[in-house]
Amino acid sequence: MADKSFFIDTTKCTACRGCQIACKQWNKNPGTKTLQQGNHQNPADLSASTFKLVRFNEVEVPGGEPQWFFFPDQCRHCMSPPCKEVADEKAKGAIIHDEKTGAVIFNPKVKIKPGDFKEVREACPYDIPRISGAGIMAKCTMCFDRINEGMLPACVKTCPTGAMNFGDRKEILEKANKRLEEVKGTYKDAMLANTDDVRVIFLIVDDPKKYHKFAVADNTIGITRKMALKRLFQPLTSLRHMIG
Amino acid sequence: MTSMKITRRTFLKVSGATAAGTIMGGLGFDLSPAEVYAQELRIKGAKETTSICCYCSVGCGIIVHTDAKGKVINAEGDPDHPISEGALCAKGASSYQIAVNPHRLQKVLYRAPYSSTWKEVKWEWALEKIAANIKKSRDASFMEKNAAGQVVNRTNGIASVGSAAMDNEECWLYSKMLRALGLIYVEHQARI
Amino acid sequence: MTNHYIDFRNADVILNMGSNVAENHPVSFKWIQAAKDKGALFIHVDPRFTRTSTKADIFVRLRSGTDIAFLGGMIKYLIDNNMYDEFYVKNYTNASFIVNPKYGFNDGLFSGYDSTKRSYDKSTWALEKDEQGIPKRDMTLQDPRCVFQLLKNHYSRYALDKVSQITGTPTADLEKVYKAYGSTYAPDKAGTVLYAMGWTQHTVGVQNIRTMAIIQDLLGNMGIAGGGINALRGESNVQGSTDAGLLYHIWPAYLPTPRSPWATLADYNKNNTPVSKDPRSVNWWKNRPKYVASFLKSMFGEKATKENDFGYAWMPKLEPGQDASWLNLFDEMYKGAFTGFFAWGMNPACSSAHAGKVRQALTKLDWMVNVNVFDSETGSFWKGPGMNPKKIKTEVFQLPCAAFLEKEGSISNSGRWMQWRYKAANPPGVALPDGDIIYELFKKVRALYEKDKGTLPEPILNLKWDYETGGHFDIHKVAKEINGYDLTTGKLMANFVGLKDDGTTSCGNWLYSASYTEAGNMAARRKKTDPTGLGLYPEWSWCWPLNRRIIYNRASVDLDGKPRDPKRPLLKWDAEGKKWIGDVPDNAVPPMGTTGAYPFIMKPDGVSSLFGPGLNDGPFPEHYEPLECPIEKNLMSGQRINPAIKVFEGGLDAFATCDPKYPFVCSTYRVTEHWQTGVLTRWLPWLIEAEPQMFCEISIELAKLRGIKNGDRVIVQTQRGKLEAVAIVTFRLKPFNVAGQTIHQIGIPWHFGWLHPKDGGESANLLTPTVGDPNTMIPESKAFMANVSKLTKQPAQPAKKTTKS
Repeated sequence: MADKSFFIDTTKCTACRGCQIACKQWNKNPGTKTLQQGNHQNPADLSASTFKLVRFNEVEVPGGEPQWFFFPDQCRHCMSPPCKEVADEKAKGAIIHDEKTGAVIFNPKVKIKPGDFKEVREACPYDIPRISGAGIMAKCTMCFDRINEGMLPACVKTCPTGAMNFGDRKEILEKANKRLEEVKGTYKDAMLANTDDVRVIFLIVDDPKKYHKFAVADNTIGITRKMALKRLFQPLTSLRHMIG
Repeated sequence: MTSMKITRRTFLKVSGATAAGTIMGGLGFDLSPAEVYAQELRIKGAKETTSICCYCSVGCGIIVHTDAKGKVINAEGDPDHPISEGALCAKGASSYQIAVNPHRLQKVLYRAPYSSTWKEVKWEWALEKIAANIKKSRDASFMEKNAAGQVVNRTNGIASVGSAAMDNEECWLYSKMLRALGLIYVEHQARI
Repeated sequence: MTNHYIDFRNADVILNMGSNVAENHPVSFKWIQAAKDKGALFIHVDPRFTRTSTKADIFVRLRSGTDIAFLGGMIKYLIDNNMYDEFYVKNYTNASFIVNPKYGFNDGLFSGYDSTKRSYDKSTWALEKDEQGIPKRDMTLQDPRCVFQLLKNHYSRYALDKVSQITGTPTADLEKVYKAYGSTYAPDKAGTVLYAMGWTQHTVGVQNIRTMAIIQDLLGNMGIAGGGINALRGESNVQGSTDAGLLYHIWPAYLPTPRSPWATLADYNKNNTPVSKDPRSVNWWKNRPKYVASFLKSMFGEKATKENDFGYAWMPKLEPGQDASWLNLFDEMYKGAFTGFFAWGMNPACSSAHAGKVRQALTKLDWMVNVNVFDSETGSFWKGPGMNPKKIKTEVFQLPCAAFLEKEGSISNSGRWMQWRYKAANPPGVALPDGDIIYELFKKVRALYEKDKGTLPEPILNLKWDYETGGHFDIHKVAKEINGYDLTTGKLMANFVGLKDDGTTSCGNWLYSASYTEAGNMAARRKKTDPTGLGLYPEWSWCWPLNRRIIYNRASVDLDGKPRDPKRPLLKWDAEGKKWIGDVPDNAVPPMGTTGAYPFIMKPDGVSSLFGPGLNDGPFPEHYEPLECPIEKNLMSGQRINPAIKVFEGGLDAFATCDPKYPFVCSTYRVTEHWQTGVLTRWLPWLIEAEPQMFCEISIELAKLRGIKNGDRVIVQTQRGKLEAVAIVTFRLKPFNVAGQTIHQIGIPWHFGWLHPKDGGESANLLTPTVGDPNTMIPESKAFMANVSKLTKQPAQPAKKTTKS
């Protein structure tokens, strides 16, 4: 099976939350107790029961109509998932990277300690990993059981407007780039978020922070420094692992 | 030491490293997810029944999957449906929870005058008692002729509201019954 | 809908006004997006910025209750700027018709008004006819008494500044919408309008829609692909239930319910069958006697004979002018008029305007039957807030019914598509499909009348009630009854064209004739051919009438039968084959240029009505303020409110206009995640998780004024009641500048109720007034006056939901 990817076109999202519920339906994740806290986003955040969440954010435009951003958040299924890198040190086999599709999968059979989970979560630039009370990590599975049978992920299938797309990475990249070109005339800040690094590519048309704090991975550190940090990181974590 | 952890801020470096080569190791692929979940597609072999969503008036197609025992195990959009093409909104996507829901009314319930509780009763008992009530109210309030002496043949003492929640055939049958009983106060959702 | 959902994709301009399509008909947005992808312009006009507005190319605000002013301004703009389709207006509307010289309009009142009765004598609104009885016309549209000139004159008063003062919409915004939508006057441009309860739930509800219909006529947008007037109806089968005559004023298929003066079937037919002497008018309703006789045959079968008027006398008759509609029904119930009541698949304790009055009314009954999938505030009213069960006599039967996926049958969507659905699973416990319950219940009633005759037993004993197979209720037999039979052969009718008035045919609902024929169950079809390429899918399910997917479709061609819009050819006349190609033609007569007929076959004159002399509140729409409104004077005239509305007085009914205690305009509405009173959504954990509690949306400005912070608990109160809600303080609501006065708008959803969840909140309808449109009596739930204030004692701060899980 070819490398898979999503393209999430936020310009077409109406926040109907079909994806949010279809995800719960397929995974049989429960509805959790929530409260109205002054906005329409609910539940307030992702959880071990909520792998897909439409985030709502309202922004004032002085003298004009407000902007209301919808961001159907989910795991980005990174090309090189940092969560896995951490987990491999902490709880071997807790995170799996599927060779066939590129799906990053949390293994429900492997428990992780709360402190270790914290590091896994911290490693995720998109703040996706969550953990259940039983110490099992949870997040979007790319509906690997569906896609292995040639079906669309539940969230993509249920999307009415074409905001959610899924397919072979090459075609998805083409689609995303084509759409980016289409909307550039209307939205000068249009961009595809972290295209090379993730398998879930968001098209956003404004400052990413207006959508969600973790919409786009922060890219403020220069490459050189990052490489240096990376080199430092490897032996130390190994050491910690040995001590731990 | 804490600054050495992989943090959100260092993510791009990690992917950059992969692009540069595999010098770090440990970033390769491993077990397939099928091996860890060891679970077949839950709807494989399930019976598929087509339906139409019960909420708004768009009329989206739904496929309901039931297991060998006839239990609903999944409900999602019907990709062949020309209006919805497999799509469902939050409500339509929740259809499963209409079928599988402990709050569903499952018993015939009766609340006697001045009672503070429901009592479970049998269909037969309830339908007979309702029928007797209908007859009593109808016979007591039936007007064959109005003040002007014109034949009106109507039941003034019973009213009905409902229902757009029924199928066409049920609506027609209900309308037929109510008119035969002489009701004129026949209304439903379309008025509000 | 005249058109259908997929057809949105064929439009060049889509106007969404009086509805919130992305939130309340979410999947239909697929076809708006498809239109946008092809370059269409999407306009949203609403008091509030919603999820729909985020996708609009043009979003414009108006004060709730001022749509006629807004659209009246558009009529003036289109005429002033010659942005109307002259061919269409002359040939397919009554623009050229001459109106009675006694017709007049002065200071908000049309001629013929009787203030003591709050109603009009409509005789002066009639169209003039020549000696043959054919309407007089002036095809130059210059006669000062022709409809076009009267229209022009009437809307000359709706100048931009005046409209802006009323609506609170800046003039630049008005012009932006007028110009954009007006662009569809070109024959090769299509404009469609999507509306819903945002137009109907007003005391000028019908006239809101009429104003838009006039605009669609002026622009030539009726009967074309990508056009039409499209009501996004609120429930999956509210189209079908209306078609089935579950309203006091109609039997199935829009046959009026009989009135006491019509003693015989002949009287009925005489009073309800329109006559046209114009050979060019098809006047389809001339067939009414055939449909009535066939309907009565479906009621009483062999017991309906020519000799007994097919049982016409057994059918209940209302008094002339008697209005037994919803608000009156509950008013009567409140006054103790009924001993028995069915709330079948309904929750009036939350869905009715002035729900507090309804809840009290339920205590006046001897018995109530409540049928539903989940428990509701209606079934359990006797243990609701403020109720003392020990003092409530009402005997309540709560019958559990099957949900949609637990039974077989058809429903009709807004596009009139009748779609068959199948049974996937058994209902839980002893729950039964509604059809089974109705069928068995009536058998019990009949058994009682067989035993002890009672009052007028004939309609009960003679009712045709033989819809079972193997001792079980059989829905297919009802479906066939609705389609109808040729009783001489016993075969199913092919369609309604063959129905007769002599008792040789039966048909439960003539509009549905052709849905279940000897060829099978048409509603169950799943073939996806699309010969026109316009997305009509003629072999997918079935649609009434006669599988015609776009009604009045002959208005899309010229006098020779050629498509006026070559890009979207809905129909074309094949002169050699002497037939129409495309959609099922709205009557298969030849083109008008030959020997054909006018395209609007359901209208007696065959044309669309710019001037509508049949309505109760005027032949032209006129702006009036809502019953409860924030301004003392209607800027259009001396009539503040619609002169023809019924005002309920006394008892629990009270109203407040320009009362400082209730200073804010309030609307009720829905959100995507819930449906109606929430009976079918509040019990679903996934949906209640997404929208868990009653809220009240208010602007930043109003929040400041009232010292309310986002997330605070507030009290929303009207003359009828009050409830608690969580404040959503938002940029999406803004105050309006109405003639120099700042008017605040607030909004609340009507999905909640005391029963479940316990902390969900109460029904918005505790606040809404008992007042309705003078034609439909649909309540005015979109514009009433309320106060909002911070709850002085805020509950303990709920634990902030942690971002960790």
